[in-house]
Amino acid sequence: MNFGFLDERFPSFKLARRNLTRTPLRSGLAALGIVIGVVAIASLGMFATSLQVNAEDVTSETNSQVSVNPGPAARDGRLSERDVQDVGRAVPGATVIPQKQIQVPVSAGRDNSLERASVVGVERPDAYLEASEGQVPASFQSGVLVDSLIAETLEVEVGERVEIDGRSTRVRAVVDGGGFSANLYVPIQTVEADGYSSVIVIPPETQTANETATTIRERLNVREERVQVPNPDLLSGLISGFFDILRGFLTAIGSISLIVAGVSILNVMLMSTIERRQEIGVLRAVGFQRRDILKILLSESMLLGVIGGLVGAVVSIVVSLGVNYYLVDDAMLTFHPRNLGVLVIAFVFGIVTSIGSGLYPAWKAANEQPVEALRS
Amino acid sequence: MTAIEVTNVTKEYQTGEETFLALKGIDFSLARGEFVSIMGPSGSGKSTFLNIIGLLDQPTTGSVSLDGQDVTELTDRRRTTVRKQTIGFIFQDFFLIPTLSAKENVELPAIYEIDETIRSRATMLLERVGLGNRLKHHPDQLSGGQKQRVAIARSLINSPRILLADEPTGNLDSETSEQVLDEFTRIARDENVAIIAVTHDPQVTEYTDRTIELRDGRLTS
Repeated sequence: MNFGFLDERFPSFKLARRNLTRTPLRSGLAALGIVIGVVAIASLGMFATSLQVNAEDVTSETNSQVSVNPGPAARDGRLSERDVQDVGRAVPGATVIPQKQIQVPVSAGRDNSLERASVVGVERPDAYLEASEGQVPASFQSGVLVDSLIAETLEVEVGERVEIDGRSTRVRAVVDGGGFSANLYVPIQTVEADGYSSVIVIPPETQTANETATTIRERLNVREERVQVPNPDLLSGLISGFFDILRGFLTAIGSISLIVAGVSILNVMLMSTIERRQEIGVLRAVGFQRRDILKILLSESMLLGVIGGLVGAVVSIVVSLGVNYYLVDDAMLTFHPRNLGVLVIAFVFGIVTSIGSGLYPAWKAANEQPVEALRS
Repeated sequence: MTAIEVTNVTKEYQTGEETFLALKGIDFSLARGEFVSIMGPSGSGKSTFLNIIGLLDQPTTGSVSLDGQDVTELTDRRRTTVRKQTIGFIFQDFFLIPTLSAKENVELPAIYEIDETIRSRATMLLERVGLGNRLKHHPDQLSGGQKQRVAIARSLINSPRILLADEPTGNLDSETSEQVLDEFTRIARDENVAIIAVTHDPQVTEYTDRTIELRDGRLTS
């Protein structure tokens, strides 16, 4: 490799580079420490990003809907017909989907059953559900729509039969329910319950989900808290906060390996300066100032950091490609902007650790009296 | 003109409770162009004396002047600068940097200088000591005599007015020693450089203008 320009421009760099090649194995091992540290920080950070992006994808679907739930003032903890109408009046143009939810035993065939499954009675499932298999009916009079997670658990497909609370019914579609709940959807008239457990509101195009939630709260809760309408972005805020903590925690774990790498560099640099004590004495004798010695030795530790950091960053990208491919089925998630930040932080940490570890040996060597160093 | 003026210099070392007096009041002067050898048994204070003149160490009392300038009480930074500009060092063990080529070793004292002529000067100096065909060789590819000649070229790169040599022929056979000493004589004569060689080697005295004996921390001749 030709470093002509750099050598000429930065003589300390030249001397540092040559010194590191003197004991390539030792330098390589010291840099390897930094590689491991950087990979630990970057990979864990990037893994947290993958989980976060994945979770955000799920929540973004529910973000476009508003869920209206009974408030403390609701009778029997259910929403009344009047509540549903008032919600509709509060947000003209919105699609209002009342739901009746019950918890009942569900089974399919002899082997597969759930003691308590969430069964949701709904009038217009096509307004907010999408089928991955079969079709979501516009007019829902019979049969059942099964969330993909439930379909997997009960091992049922479209056309097969499911027994809900003792009544057998045919699966019309497997749906992506969105969000985190796994439900079975049945026609609302088949659910025997007074009032509604919740109302799903799909905002009109002129309003965001948050604005809709605020409007409903303001209009219905004038005198008492009839309904509870959480802001849809509340969940994603909580999730994002959780993942920030997770990423910080994982980065902290990764940092431990970088500290170990720092100790190894400290050791290597100390050994190297002790071995080269006479040589450093000669440099001082022929006119190198203390700061020149400091520059050379710090350049050495910085070079170890830069090499370790670069290799570490490349390895981290490869690891992240693999992890994302196998875990979330999207290798390109590696190049998410948030990961770029993680990589830069890991790289900078690597270099700062290296330079930090080189400080004491460099300071010690620079401050030695040349006559003492030459005598050794 | 006087290159080195040493007046009543003493040097004490503290070893535990005891104080050891390495130099006991030395007066010495050396003119430019003069080649002097300092002889004496081991432990007589030769190296200590050379280190004090070379600004690598400070005297306990007394004063040292180089080129008429008192350099006894300078800061480390200033001492280093004067050392670089005024003094060239040659060591018994050559002390070449193993990772640098012969030419890079010669350029080393001037590596931080922004001076375009340094490279050609390094080549010229190596040619002059007979190593024009060894510019890119590393120290491990050179013989002892060749290494010492690289060290001489290195000591001359900043055009010093004083050369200090500690056992310069200590690791050389007599034929190579002659070549090195010839070179010293030429440098003193042609370039008007003051040279002090500390040595055990009687051969050196045949080339010097005078020989001084250091015994128990005192000059005896």
